[in-house]
Amino acid sequence: MSIEKQEKRQGAALVAPALLWTLGFFAIPFAAMVMMSLAHLEGREIVQGHDLGNYLRIFTDPSLRRGIFVSLEITAVVTVISVLLAWPLAWIIATRVPARWRRMALLLAVLPFWTSYVVRSYSWALVLGEKGVVMNALVGLGLLAEPVQIMATRSATIIGFVHFFVMLLTLTIYSNLIQLSPNYARAAEDLGASRWQVIRLVILPLTLPGVMTGAFLTFVLCIGDYITPQILGGNNELTLPQLIMLQLGRRGDFPMASALSVVLMVIVTLAYAACARWLKMERV
Amino acid sequence: MKYLSLAYLVALFGFILLPVVTLVIFSFQDGRLPVPPFKGVTFEWYAKILTDRAMMEALGNSLIVALLSSLVALTLGFLAASGLARVVLPGSVLMRGLLIAPMTVSYLIIALGLLQMFNKIGIRPSLLATGIGHVVINLPLCFAILYAAIGEHQKSALKAARDLGAREWQVLWFVAAPMLTPALAAAFFLAFTFSWDEFIIAFLLTRFDVTLPVEIWSMLRSGLSPATNAVGSLVFLVSVIVVVTLELTLFRKGSK
Amino acid sequence: MTADVHIKAVEHRFNSFTALHRVDLQIAAGEFIVLLGPSGCGKTTLLSIIGGFLTPSEGQVLIGGRDMTHVAPKDRPTTTMFQDYALFPHMSLRDNVAFGLRMRGMAKAARNAKALEMLDMVGLADKAARRPHELSGGQRQRVALARALAVEPDVLLLDEPLGALDLKLRRQMQEELKAIQRRVGTTFVHVTHDQEEAMAIADRIVVMNHGRIEHCGTPEEVYLTPKTMFSADFMGETNRIPVSPAAEGVTSPLGPLAIPPAEGMLCLRPESIGFAGEFSLGRATLVEAAFYGSYHRCHFRPVAAPDLLLTAHLPQGEHPRPGAEVELFGRNPVVLSPKAKAAA
Repeated sequence: MSIEKQEKRQGAALVAPALLWTLGFFAIPFAAMVMMSLAHLEGREIVQGHDLGNYLRIFTDPSLRRGIFVSLEITAVVTVISVLLAWPLAWIIATRVPARWRRMALLLAVLPFWTSYVVRSYSWALVLGEKGVVMNALVGLGLLAEPVQIMATRSATIIGFVHFFVMLLTLTIYSNLIQLSPNYARAAEDLGASRWQVIRLVILPLTLPGVMTGAFLTFVLCIGDYITPQILGGNNELTLPQLIMLQLGRRGDFPMASALSVVLMVIVTLAYAACARWLKMERV
Repeated sequence: MKYLSLAYLVALFGFILLPVVTLVIFSFQDGRLPVPPFKGVTFEWYAKILTDRAMMEALGNSLIVALLSSLVALTLGFLAASGLARVVLPGSVLMRGLLIAPMTVSYLIIALGLLQMFNKIGIRPSLLATGIGHVVINLPLCFAILYAAIGEHQKSALKAARDLGAREWQVLWFVAAPMLTPALAAAFFLAFTFSWDEFIIAFLLTRFDVTLPVEIWSMLRSGLSPATNAVGSLVFLVSVIVVVTLELTLFRKGSK
Repeated sequence: MTADVHIKAVEHRFNSFTALHRVDLQIAAGEFIVLLGPSGCGKTTLLSIIGGFLTPSEGQVLIGGRDMTHVAPKDRPTTTMFQDYALFPHMSLRDNVAFGLRMRGMAKAARNAKALEMLDMVGLADKAARRPHELSGGQRQRVALARALAVEPDVLLLDEPLGALDLKLRRQMQEELKAIQRRVGTTFVHVTHDQEEAMAIADRIVVMNHGRIEHCGTPEEVYLTPKTMFSADFMGETNRIPVSPAAEGVTSPLGPLAIPPAEGMLCLRPESIGFAGEFSLGRATLVEAAFYGSYHRCHFRPVAAPDLLLTAHLPQGEHPRPGAEVELFGRNPVVLSPKAKAAA
């Protein structure tokens, strides 16, 4: 046997455990889930079939179809707001904050990362509630005559999400900015650009690939999250993950839950394809 | 510009820190509701939490699941990364793709898939089932970090070790692992954090023994309570201590 | 401690690209061989085949008379010194050098003693407890040499080990490498693309191009009597003058030249042209001259062939004046056929 073959055999032996694990606990269950999405529920029995009934229902049943749009709308709004808030923050920390405070500022900016995810949503419920800190302050200052309902609305979900993703995006954009050579800005200034022009024409375009990657991450994590809309948004309008959990919890409707998951998966894949294509175009 | 920057910084920090600060302050609330007005300081809620059997068990469960699942994910990821970095196998690209794939799929979908499969083959919802799920989500992470850490220089050191007579396990144990210590530590730390904080997989794949996030979730059902604030603050405090320690030791050294 | 290497009709293909075309090479035990050639000539592929990192598509590798073609690197009596040194960053110098011995099961005290001895040989015994990142490039290079030699290989393979060093340090290391090789007696196979380095250290140079051996011989042979146009050009600058046989000597654009009759290109090194020599090149005008320290570099335009330009390196003190017309002489004539390929 040739040396290369021995090497390949050894290499394959090293990769095998991880590959088998991923195959057995990810790929196969995933394939099984796709199969399950073609089945349907009769009474409490799952009847394996090969029809697209579940998918048809998702796009005709108003409550299910609405879930897709609610999820997409929330995710889009969250992604845009988070990027718009995070970029200036990252830029200020990377360039305006004195070097010795920089790490401290960054640490502070992502501090709430280190609470548990569930607790973070809960603390927003605490803050945004009718008797919470915000309403208390607004009413106390005379800005509002009486508390406004935010909890259990889409706004609460969006605020909770934006909070999390501003931190995430600040981190990614910051690491992007800090890697840029300061000579780009110097060269632009040297050539007569104002500070605003430097940002708009040089720094911002240079960070765009990083921003896109961060935005994609935000999109994926946001659209697949169950906790935040469940705690903050309540049950008035349901997102896709909430609908999936509802199918499981209430009726044990695995086929429908699977079909909704496949739809969720398809949306994420499309977003990924769009993002990858954009990044590739950008590189050329 | 300067004042604008400062104002923006203060506003955003206010937004980011508001919920955490509120959480911590009202964990000391001497009253039944963690909302204004603040009625005075008490440690009653901390005492309640720390003597809560179910809560402490959940904490122990979370630690065990996080520790074991990250170790398994790290080991599998390390072996796979050294294997794929060593030789170009037919289908290398496909293998890397498959190993990374779970990263792009929502945890909810992974959990649902595992739940269905475990139902079918008769594995009951348990900490073991949750641990398996956590390895699935952390393996791509560990693999990606370690694979990226093996550059040309590392590859040639591994080649040199083999040339000097080391057997495969010796190469991994004496050269690859010590050489990749920073990356291994970073991967383990991240995997541990993700598992520790993971909710949906644990929620769907546990029943009687639950992890901390699931236990906190069930606390939420009974509405707002300073006890929940106390748990949250404790988790926060411990995480911050760990992060600051790591920042001061491991990563400071690595960044130089 | 030392062994001969016999490469028998080795051919190697990467997919459709043939990196080596039926290469034959005999290396004597204790010889310092340099594989020399431009990048992509197959020299590194050949080294990898000797080291066991590649199996040749065809042919055999014998080391010390034993067939090693399919033996893994760790089981061969060879060690490789890698281009980037491949020192283990987490180990002290002593542990780096002792690594191979440890893998061979040598007890700790013995291997540490041996490692110190090797470090002493390369002049780094006092730094045994340091880590590789605390060293300079030249020092790392020495540690890599000590590590590779510690396991007492029969053949040491060096993959462009001096490439990363600056010129001064490279010269110094060349001398040290040569001295150490004489001391340990191990067969050294050294790969480089630097012909000066090759001449400085080699017992024999193997000039390679496009997967073939162009010329194999001592530095003097390869430099002064190259066998192919490629090796003539690669070893240094040449003046080329087309010649064809005549009744006595040859005819050329410069007129008849008194050298043995031959058809092809007359190749003359710049230092083989001067004001005295074995045969006349006719009269020529000095166009330009520059002082290079150890010689004057001069361009001459032959009176008989004004579109030819001859480059000569004249000794210090021979003051050429631009515009002056002088008679030039040549030495060490080599006539090569432009089509002459490596005969192997």
